[in-house]
Amino acid sequence: MSTEQSTRAESRTPAAWHWPVAGVLVVLLLGAATRLLDKNVAAWFAGSGLAKAIEFPVYAIILGLLGNAVLTAAGVRDRLSGGFRTEFFIKTGLVLLGASINLKLIVTAAGPAIVQAIVLISTVFLFTWWLGGKLGLDDRLRALLSAAVSICGVSAAIAAAGAVQARREQLAYSASLVIAFALPSIFILPALASALGLSPEVAGAWIGGNIDTTAAVTAAGTLVGENALAIATIVKVTQNALIGVVVVALTAWFAFRVERTAGSPRPSVAELWRRFPKFVLGFVAASVIATWWLTTVPAAEGKAVIGVANDLRTWFLILAFVSIGLEFRVASLKDAGWRPVGVFAAATVVNVVVALVLAALLFSGFSAG
Amino acid sequence: MSTQEPPTSGESRTALNEDWAATIVGLVLLVLVITGVIPTGLVP
Repeated sequence: MSTEQSTRAESRTPAAWHWPVAGVLVVLLLGAATRLLDKNVAAWFAGSGLAKAIEFPVYAIILGLLGNAVLTAAGVRDRLSGGFRTEFFIKTGLVLLGASINLKLIVTAAGPAIVQAIVLISTVFLFTWWLGGKLGLDDRLRALLSAAVSICGVSAAIAAAGAVQARREQLAYSASLVIAFALPSIFILPALASALGLSPEVAGAWIGGNIDTTAAVTAAGTLVGENALAIATIVKVTQNALIGVVVVALTAWFAFRVERTAGSPRPSVAELWRRFPKFVLGFVAASVIATWWLTTVPAAEGKAVIGVANDLRTWFLILAFVSIGLEFRVASLKDAGWRPVGVFAAATVVNVVVALVLAALLFSGFSAG
Repeated sequence: MSTQEPPTSGESRTALNEDWAATIVGLVLLVLVITGVIPTGLVP
């Protein structure tokens, strides 16, 4: 669309908030269609094992991608994109997920999850940083890609971009790479976990340690099963909680070694807290509330009521997966050439292997049931 | 290399606010569920 056309279109727009609200309505509509398919396809195709095996993340992402194609063709996708709140939907869904996870599981899984997160993040970050340097990438892009591939995708890239003052297009590029690699891994990792005969706990730890975006981790964990989803989420949330540490380290590194500019912000405890993903607290709080509440009611009533929270969780996750499909774009990947893609692909392979070894070492024999 | 605008702090502020918004919405919904305001069978 030319500038003139877009100016004309904007002058017709009564208020700026209409587009994001319309965007949310699009997400809700596609989410309702996903829920309808999820509830009915197995009955419509009774006897087909495939229909039964397909779960809601698959429908949600496919409908999101179809919606993406239609809205892009109609020329309105970018204006509606303010309503595609993937991060908000996924985080609300994860807070609600906390209600179905016993506090004891969080406490017992936290130890191995922290060890796995620290070893994995350090190994993959340093490998990506080293390879990016070998291939001559800009230091800021190296930092973004390393943070994105080693920690948790888009939110890590956003946090790292702030820390190293990266340019907008570098952030857009890193975020696109994260999503381009995360989408296929939603389907590939559960299939590999099944082929390798991994236990649900090891598969969950592998998925949580390896896939970059929290939404994709949740989608892949859901495909494996409830126990795998619980462990995948705890591992992922632990990595998310370490964003603050990595961002402070990056801020310090860029302030003192790469740029050495006067007046660069000094890393502090306040900065650590500012970067800490606060929804992790909501996830733990929901687990505390539900674990306590379940001790006060009969088991059957407790199960039925937590089932309602699970239905709400599924709704928010559906909205998040629909948003992933709607947000996906290939255009910004075409501009930067093959080297960052090569670095990201190599780092992803290292991530897959190291995460599998760590998951097998730390979570075999672990029971989430 | 052209000097372009770095990501504004507004972006990270939005992400941080979404964290709190998700925490509040999630916990409020959970409380409404366990207090029976959202009864079983209401969520499609």
